[in-house]
Amino acid sequence: MNNNKRIIFSLIIMSLLFFSLMAYLTYFEFFQKDNILANSYNQRLYEYEESVVRGNIYDRNGTLLAYSEGEGENQKRIYPHNNLYSHIIGYSTRTYGKILLEAKYNNELLGINELKVVVDLKNEITGQKTKGNDVYLTIDHELQSLAEKLLKGKSGSVVAMNPTTGEVLAMVSKPDYNPNEDKLKENWSQLVESEESPFLPRATQGLYVPGSTFKVAIASSAIENGLGDETFDDKGTIVIDGKEIRNFGGKEFGTIDMKDALAYSSNTAFAQIGVSLGEQNLRNLSAGLGFNKSIGFGIPLKQSSFDYKKMNKTDMAAVGMGQGKLLVTPLHMAMITSSIANRGMMVEPLLVQKVTGITGNHMIKNNPTVLYQTMNEQTSSQINEMMQQVVNKGTGTKAKIAGIEVAGKTGTAENELSNGDNSKEHAWFIGFAPAENPQIAVSVIIEYSGSTGGEVAAPIAQQIMRQWIK
Amino acid sequence: MRTLFNNSKPITLVVLFNIMAFGLLFFRNQNVEIIYYGLTVIGIICFVYFFLQWRQWGDVYLFIIVTMLISIGLIMIFRLDEDLGIRQVMLFSGGMVLFLLSYLIFNSLKFWHKLTYFYIGSSLLLFIITLAFGRTIGGATNWISFYGISIQPSEFIKIIFIFFLASYYNTPDKLKIPPIKISDKTIEIKNNIILTIVAYGYMGFLVLQREWGGALLMFLIHITLLFVFEEDIKVILMNIAFAIVGALGGALFVYHIKVRIDVWIDPWADIAGKGYQITQSMFAIGSGGFFGRGLGLGSPKYIPEVETDFIFSAICEEFGIFGGVAIILLYFILVYRGFKIALSVENTFYKAIALGITAMFGFQTFIIIGGVIKLIPLTGITLPFISYGGSSLTTNFIALAILQAISKDAYSGMGGKYE
Amino acid sequence: MYELIATIFKYIFTLIIYVFIFSIIRMIYLDIRSMKGYSKKGIEAYPYLKLINRREKFDFKLFESYILDEDKSIGRSNRNEISIQDPYLSSEHVRIYIEEDICLIKDLGSTNGTFLNDEQIEEESVVLNDGDRIHIGQLDFIFVSKDEEE
Repeated sequence: MNNNKRIIFSLIIMSLLFFSLMAYLTYFEFFQKDNILANSYNQRLYEYEESVVRGNIYDRNGTLLAYSEGEGENQKRIYPHNNLYSHIIGYSTRTYGKILLEAKYNNELLGINELKVVVDLKNEITGQKTKGNDVYLTIDHELQSLAEKLLKGKSGSVVAMNPTTGEVLAMVSKPDYNPNEDKLKENWSQLVESEESPFLPRATQGLYVPGSTFKVAIASSAIENGLGDETFDDKGTIVIDGKEIRNFGGKEFGTIDMKDALAYSSNTAFAQIGVSLGEQNLRNLSAGLGFNKSIGFGIPLKQSSFDYKKMNKTDMAAVGMGQGKLLVTPLHMAMITSSIANRGMMVEPLLVQKVTGITGNHMIKNNPTVLYQTMNEQTSSQINEMMQQVVNKGTGTKAKIAGIEVAGKTGTAENELSNGDNSKEHAWFIGFAPAENPQIAVSVIIEYSGSTGGEVAAPIAQQIMRQWIK
Repeated sequence: MRTLFNNSKPITLVVLFNIMAFGLLFFRNQNVEIIYYGLTVIGIICFVYFFLQWRQWGDVYLFIIVTMLISIGLIMIFRLDEDLGIRQVMLFSGGMVLFLLSYLIFNSLKFWHKLTYFYIGSSLLLFIITLAFGRTIGGATNWISFYGISIQPSEFIKIIFIFFLASYYNTPDKLKIPPIKISDKTIEIKNNIILTIVAYGYMGFLVLQREWGGALLMFLIHITLLFVFEEDIKVILMNIAFAIVGALGGALFVYHIKVRIDVWIDPWADIAGKGYQITQSMFAIGSGGFFGRGLGLGSPKYIPEVETDFIFSAICEEFGIFGGVAIILLYFILVYRGFKIALSVENTFYKAIALGITAMFGFQTFIIIGGVIKLIPLTGITLPFISYGGSSLTTNFIALAILQAISKDAYSGMGGKYE
Repeated sequence: MYELIATIFKYIFTLIIYVFIFSIIRMIYLDIRSMKGYSKKGIEAYPYLKLINRREKFDFKLFESYILDEDKSIGRSNRNEISIQDPYLSSEHVRIYIEEDICLIKDLGSTNGTFLNDEQIEEESVVLNDGDRIHIGQLDFIFVSKDEEE
């Protein structure tokens, strides 16, 4: 009967509707829930928070970095090292909510878990107060303190990481602030209004032009595309598509190969390399380094960007020298450096080593995850050698450590204050040591330094590497 | 395990569920009354179930599925608010009496299909009374009260609407108005045009009362029946086109609809204001996880209107996603049974009624669950058999009784149409 | 303490609800399968009763045919294998059964009697032949035996 056919059709439609309800509910549970629950309008969080003691945060060696005092509504988060970890741990307060690690690891710190009820029962019997899990960072407190001391009074960032495991050993951003609740209340309006944006975690959220440090990546692409043996006639300036490109300080290097071009950071040579590589190679290079992609990390990490719809020759030349519409975070720059030190493998950066406690008690990561093979092993060792040249005889001599081979690259990044009379470029230095068996990779950026990476950034990197290797 | 699956009679499981849940609530609130009310519920369910089996009053599955739904609803309301729980048990007892009465009345009278104009008239009367004397609760003017009892006439009008549609499809020619004479020409309006006008009239009244959910539900019932019984494909297409134009127009120009759509797209924009309900609902569902936080362990009180429209969110918080999916599955097999009945009935009138009631249960469930989980924009409407509320509960039991009566083998042999 | 019990119970609740859903679906499935017994497929293999009357005349449920694959009693009560709500039938009216490939019919002491080819039969078994007319209550059937055709 015609009617019945149409009734069956209606039944099918109805089944689809009901199926979509179930599917959406499942989707919600798997993919949306976590973000939504952390919202500060969720009163359940506060309700729960008052009933437990929030877990502690330690560095890799067990130095206490954050703990909670008091009970119930009066529970207070204490940061004994004040400003030092403000851009890693963030803060946890009733008034201003939670940010960074305190927000991202909220569930772990509170011990929210299916097993919770059993734990609560045990505590009820023994008369203990339920305690959340403790979080151990990969950060080394001594190295972090040193980095902070070296950056004092400047604005910028230092990131140090283990190139093979991806563990972040130190990560300092300046300026910073005191995350203890009473200090926050005292300084809040001033902090929010400050032009220096002390709330910006520069290492993970700050985007900078990589400048000459990007030449190491360009060099790797050049080698892999058969341009490694070319020589360049460096006259100090070159004109590409009607635009003049000059070396830093207008120096002339004569006939040089790629090694020297990197050692002396020759803009004219790398502008030519950029043009010879062409648009497609440059795009492949940036994609292979993780530009325009999000990278998982313990706290929110901004995407580095390679923002070209179409490239003309001037654009290619600019990218060749690390200028133009390229933006990286200092952490991402440290990762690129690490990949050179780690035979071309870029590993996922780690901030949290383990979570311990009754419902925690698990290692977060055992094996490093390789995110990208940025270059092949042979290329990486060639770039490694070139970077040693930079430190031994080129622009990065201030990063030399007696008795240890250091690989590095300096850089100066353009910004809105670049072309004035007293131009104030950002100064970069990236590097790793010991060159033959890298244990630490560093990226340093000093904002508006008015000097070069070799002058101001290299010495900071040198001290950090020396301290760690010692 | 196998024997558990094979030997467990559904009614035993319902009883077991009630014993455990009411026992748990007693343990929580330490109030002996809860035990009495729990036993009352179990007693009523068992009595009606075995009565239906003994008298062979139609499909056994319909009622047993509904007992599970009503049990979950009662337990949840008891857990949220003991006083409301007690009232809901009373309403449930009354609803069961009404269920049996409706069955008898519907079954014994044989002139339901002749009352086309009566249905139109009585709904019109109810609408006018509501608009004239109605009280406004929660933005909708849809309550009338006398002698201290508040009722929501629009709930009952839904059933009258289904009866009206069914009587029309039984004998479409009866719905006609005399030809209009303008000078020399006589204009005759086709009966399916009149049907369309009357149907949208119903929805218009609901819109006047600001009852968007009810209007949407009626529209879906209307479209379903039209799709199944209307031969003229042009009329179906016309209705769909009309609906699309209406929906677009509403979304662009009607403030209330615009707000609902905005909130649906981004509830976080005004989380403390217009987005409050839906975000609280999502917090609740999310915090439940797979198995829920456990009966009495969640915090569903943060959700506004949690006993009525948002009860599904509370269930998800305490019974988890598995509980939520189970509820959807229960409604689905209920609706599936309804369709099965509509398929096996041959008499057009009864077929249309069975289909209309089934569509009502199905779409109502979809609209409100879809709304509270943010699959579709939220429109306030109750969850059949679970939400707190007398009008909704009694309407649903009347509808169930009618479906139950139609499911009785008696009508399967009755062919064709009433003349 | 309450927390612990409620937590254990939540798993039991989930289990009960799903076992419930499963048992309903199973019942519906079995129901549909038993209805298939009346389908055309079954008729080919077994003898069956064919209804002569027009079903529309009666306000109770009737099928076009009833297969006789096993011992079957007919009556108003739903204890019968074939239950028909004809008010003129007794609650247990007549029994049709198979013995050594022969179909036999036997009245069960019905009030209005059973007629085989217009002759009332007693409470003794009578052999059914292909094409026999059976009249019970208001209904007329023809007995169709498939054996001869195969």
